Amino acid sequence: MTKKILVWDVPTRVFHWLQALSFLGAYLTADSEKTRQIHVTLGFILFGLIAFRLVWGFVGTKHARFSSFIFHPRTVITYVRSLLQNNAQHYVGHNPIGSIAIWLLLGMGIGLGVTGVLLLQDDVADSVVDIHAYLTNGMLVVIAGHLIGVAMSSVLHKENLVRAMLTGHKKGSEQHGISHSYAWLGAALVIAAALFAYWYNR
Amino acid sequence: MSRTLIALFCCSAFVSSAFAETPAEILAGIKAEAATTAGFQGFSAARGETFFKAKHGGEWSCSSCHTDNPMNSGKHAKTEKVIKPMAPKANEERFTEPKKVAKWFKRNCNDVLDRECTAQEQGDVMTYLLAVGQPVAVAPVAKPVEAAPAAPAAAHAPAHASHKHQAH
Repeated sequence: MTKKILVWDVPTRVFHWLQALSFLGAYLTADSEKTRQIHVTLGFILFGLIAFRLVWGFVGTKHARFSSFIFHPRTVITYVRSLLQNNAQHYVGHNPIGSIAIWLLLGMGIGLGVTGVLLLQDDVADSVVDIHAYLTNGMLVVIAGHLIGVAMSSVLHKENLVRAMLTGHKKGSEQHGISHSYAWLGAALVIAAALFAYWYNR
Repeated sequence: MSRTLIALFCCSAFVSSAFAETPAEILAGIKAEAATTAGFQGFSAARGETFFKAKHGGEWSCSSCHTDNPMNSGKHAKTEKVIKPMAPKANEERFTEPKKVAKWFKRNCNDVLDRECTAQEQGDVMTYLLAVGQPVAVAPVAKPVEAAPAAPAAAHAPAHASHKHQAH
């Protein structure tokens, strides 16, 4: 029995979009000393968001938990095969390829945060600058892959994944849904990011 | 993750050392580029100094952060972070990596001029920065060279000097 179910809780969605916006903003403000402060502010917000996500990956709702999207390589291969055979397996939460993008973005995001904080110190090795840049390019590649994947998956399964990440809803059987949206925690994330931006630039 | 980082670290360390050059080699590279422009007549330390110390329509000049004396450490105009001296005479790491030179010219020219610098401008500034702090060459020679672009002063100074001479 298929009905509208809640898949993504609010903090997961808020994390997703704030992460996207702060990365985009940080990318656009990276090339000038004038916008450096904005770049650093957004970088800290991104780093903080990822720190939250790491915790939420253990204590969050079903589809937000890491345990729901650590896939065995065999599962990934089976999934790819199902795609090639035009008989794509459907996942309510993250699919096996999508999850690879998430792991990469989280990992590289942490690397960006660590190298970014190091770069705030005086007299940093050039290699830290280089790694920060490599990771940025890596992020761009994975983001591009992620966008293509979302578009393909949306078409393939006739479900609007972008809207699902906005509203939290998908169509599915009730047992796959989550019961709490934790809206207050999503609001707290937004407020925390805004407060940090205000405090850091006051 | 950490393995990737280490790999990247080694990689970048290798890359940056592999392309290390001397300031003269880097300047030669900029010169080769500038020479493709019609009417190129070489670089001038004096023009570079004027360029370095002047604002170009924006809020900052080069010297806003690097100070008027490239032998000194500078201070970031926004963050107040210390910036090591620009003159290779005071900081031998300067102008030894083409990639870094290109990156910082691009980035800082965008902040100061709101555009990229031409090869002529880069070469002039670099010639100035290389000349600063030269123990013998600069002190006596730089004066007349520096005075050259300021036409009235330049015209005056030698006249004045010769006057004195004649008075004797």
